[in-house]
Amino acid sequence: MQQELAKVKYDDAPSRWMLYPSIVFLIIALTIGVFLSYNVFLFPDYFSSEYIQFGRLRPVHVGTVAYLWLVSANVGLFFYLVPRLCGVPLWSYPLAYISIALWWASLAPGIFSYPFGTNFGWEYAELPDTLWGWYPVKFMVLLAWIGFTINLYMTIATRTIEKMYVSLWYVMGTMFWTGFTYVVGSYAVNWVPEGISRVNVSWFYVHNLVGLIFTPQGLAIAYFFLPKVTNSPIYSHQLSMVGFWSIAFVYAWVGAHHMIHGPISQWLQTTSIVFSIALFIPVWTVVGNFFYTLRSQWNKYEHNVPLRFILLGAAYYFITCVQGPLMSLRNINELTSKTDWIIGHAHISIYGTFTYFAFAGIYYALPSLASKPLWSRRMASWHFALNMWGGLIFMLPLWLGGFLQGMQWSSWADGGSYAQFHNNLTNLSFLRTIADMYPWWTLRSIGGTIVLFGNIIFAVNVFNTILLDPSKDRELALAPAKVQI
Amino acid sequence: MNTEKKSQFKLEKSAVLTFIGIVLLFSSAVIVTLIAPQYVDPTWIQPTTSYQVQVYEIADPHLYISSAGGENRQYVYHLQKDFTLLAFQENELTRILAPKDLESYVTKFGDGQLKLTSKLLLLREPTESFTQETEALRQQLQSEWTKNDQNKDKTKPRFTILELYDPGVQEAFSPAPTDTMLENWVDQNYILIDEPKHSYHQDQGVIYILNPLEYRIRVVHGTTGDFWIFDPTGTKVESLEQLQSHPLQFKSRQELIRAGEGIYAMEGCFYCHTDQTRTLVQDLVLNGSDSYPAPPSSPNEYIYQRITFPGTRRIGPDLSRVGVKRPSRDWHKGHFWSPSSESKGSIMPSFKHFFDDDPRGVSKESVGIPNYKFEAIFQYLMTKGTRITPPNQAWWIGKDPIKTIEIIEGQRKIK
Repeated sequence: MQQELAKVKYDDAPSRWMLYPSIVFLIIALTIGVFLSYNVFLFPDYFSSEYIQFGRLRPVHVGTVAYLWLVSANVGLFFYLVPRLCGVPLWSYPLAYISIALWWASLAPGIFSYPFGTNFGWEYAELPDTLWGWYPVKFMVLLAWIGFTINLYMTIATRTIEKMYVSLWYVMGTMFWTGFTYVVGSYAVNWVPEGISRVNVSWFYVHNLVGLIFTPQGLAIAYFFLPKVTNSPIYSHQLSMVGFWSIAFVYAWVGAHHMIHGPISQWLQTTSIVFSIALFIPVWTVVGNFFYTLRSQWNKYEHNVPLRFILLGAAYYFITCVQGPLMSLRNINELTSKTDWIIGHAHISIYGTFTYFAFAGIYYALPSLASKPLWSRRMASWHFALNMWGGLIFMLPLWLGGFLQGMQWSSWADGGSYAQFHNNLTNLSFLRTIADMYPWWTLRSIGGTIVLFGNIIFAVNVFNTILLDPSKDRELALAPAKVQI
Repeated sequence: MNTEKKSQFKLEKSAVLTFIGIVLLFSSAVIVTLIAPQYVDPTWIQPTTSYQVQVYEIADPHLYISSAGGENRQYVYHLQKDFTLLAFQENELTRILAPKDLESYVTKFGDGQLKLTSKLLLLREPTESFTQETEALRQQLQSEWTKNDQNKDKTKPRFTILELYDPGVQEAFSPAPTDTMLENWVDQNYILIDEPKHSYHQDQGVIYILNPLEYRIRVVHGTTGDFWIFDPTGTKVESLEQLQSHPLQFKSRQELIRAGEGIYAMEGCFYCHTDQTRTLVQDLVLNGSDSYPAPPSSPNEYIYQRITFPGTRRIGPDLSRVGVKRPSRDWHKGHFWSPSSESKGSIMPSFKHFFDDDPRGVSKESVGIPNYKFEAIFQYLMTKGTRITPPNQAWWIGKDPIKTIEIIEGQRKIK
């Protein structure tokens, strides 16, 4: 069996066509983010124009990170790992190239058109129906996704390795769920009555973008690369299955927790809180599984950059998923909701967790994608270090500052009469609580700058690997290990 | 999963059962959380009050606004026979003369019952047949006024005297007051003189238009182009097409509110501003007036929006009650032009593209001339918090129907 598998030739061109551009978009996205953190919060409107302002650029930052970087990189890694887990090449290369072309040709112009007034108006689903009135970007993305899905499902269906590793479950799940979630957020939002019904559908989409798109994608990648980089089998398959099916079950219920205390039915809020608490189950199974896999080989952590990213990602995943359920509790939500805590929480999951899993995957897959060893291990180490410290300097102030701002807002409710409440507001105006955020925003900008710098090192390292000849004296860094399932 | 013929492996029965189970659970989640609520909780689709319905469906499409005449922005009602409800009401300084057959349509001064009609009647300066009567009435009013001791040191008013007449047309235009978001509303002590001609005439309260005059314009030739002003002796606006086309360029308030919603989305206002007063004391205080807390947002406040922006982050204050908190058009003009000078410490960007650069070339003001984008976003913002209840039952005059203040002061426990 092992010998037969070794004979299978994997052509990784589709993987490269997804991964390499996504790295460029990562740098663009981070640059926009860092630019906004200075130009909006520290030096308001130093550069100002109709097109360069927060409301028009923020969706570009978010869309570039979420779709052009993270989903694209994840699909690129799926094109790498699914054939290797199935023991067959990708089912159809023409289909892959058509889907990839559709994907880039629709998403890139679609997302970068937001500053010119094409925002669809629903958070995270800003992609317009058409550009210039005829170019159907939204539908093209859907077609591309259907293409990816058919290709990966058929690869799995024609596999020669009988046992399906947990990553394949996650891939199959997320390919379907992403399509479903995308249709709900981009189309179904207009199929329900105006008002709160649409809001509710929109939050279903927003939460499942993280829960049913990024989480299973990231976990598919982490579950594949963790045994590879540690060279040891995953601790428990059963546990990983519990994690998978509980994600499938729980996430569909929790969208309404974005509207706690808001104008949405109380019973729906309570339902979403109950299921949000249930999210502890999938998270702890995953995190437990990862850390048990690593037991007694922590020394590898020192030498192995992908492993470091997976582990820090898993640690952040743990923090995200402690924060998330707790933030849905009414009394904690009162303090954290609508503050910068939320921004911190969004970053620790998309950036802290799943971006790190994608980094690990890219570091591991790159030598075989480019048929060359990684250009520089030192640069990879710096990439990790700058991301870790920069990320902490950037996310901790958001949580702390957001929490303190929530405390300030709740101080308006001190007392027993409306006159007292109103007096509190007079003494501590809303704008004062915004001005008090400046020190935290400064730290956020510093951390963000470090992260950007670290990731520029990453991009340079990756493209040096691809474009330059490996010099002889460089050690064969991070050579791919054997396929072990 | 692998039902394709090519598959070489059988799917275990337990896996199939698990898969079906998950599909069932997932679809039940979708049904319960996405589809059921609007049927379980009627406030998701039922309007707040008939005032809300009438403002959005009756008033908005028939109020036309234009700032194409430069700073002389104009609001015009589009009146239609058998549809628009009109009232002709006298007040302390206004008297209405009417021919015999129209006298019953006038609500005399001191009459507590408001007379409404769906006939299309208008007011104008008294014509020749009424000249004598007008003079006599004016002198009588003025002499009565001088007899009153309280009026000793005040200037004698001229008294407005108007003639009610039937123009015999199907539709007409009438100038509207420019400084209010609230409609004339009556829900007790009124009578509809004619048969109800439209379903809204039978509501428990109705929006009506008070003392309509005919909209006539005078075109003025400026240095940089023509503009126009309202002038009772000018030329008549003939049709809706004329009103909407160049150079008048009127847009209905409904069009403007919808355009404003689009601008709100396009500019990404919702990334910094929430649009919900949550059921938290701090929110009710933040959005409240000096004397009364704002009532929390209810789902049915949003039913006339195609996109709703509940928001996730408050870098700027909540906007769900902004129509009440900041009703001034001038304030918004200055604020969109330069937010940081209008509210100190604000980090909101300026929106100078909501203004044209001084088309007449005579302005010395530092603020530009608002274009339709400003009118649109302004009209959109003015819907926030102003349309929940009729003006006579509004929270900002202390008549909050759900009595928020009693709840937050702990005088009344909620279940």
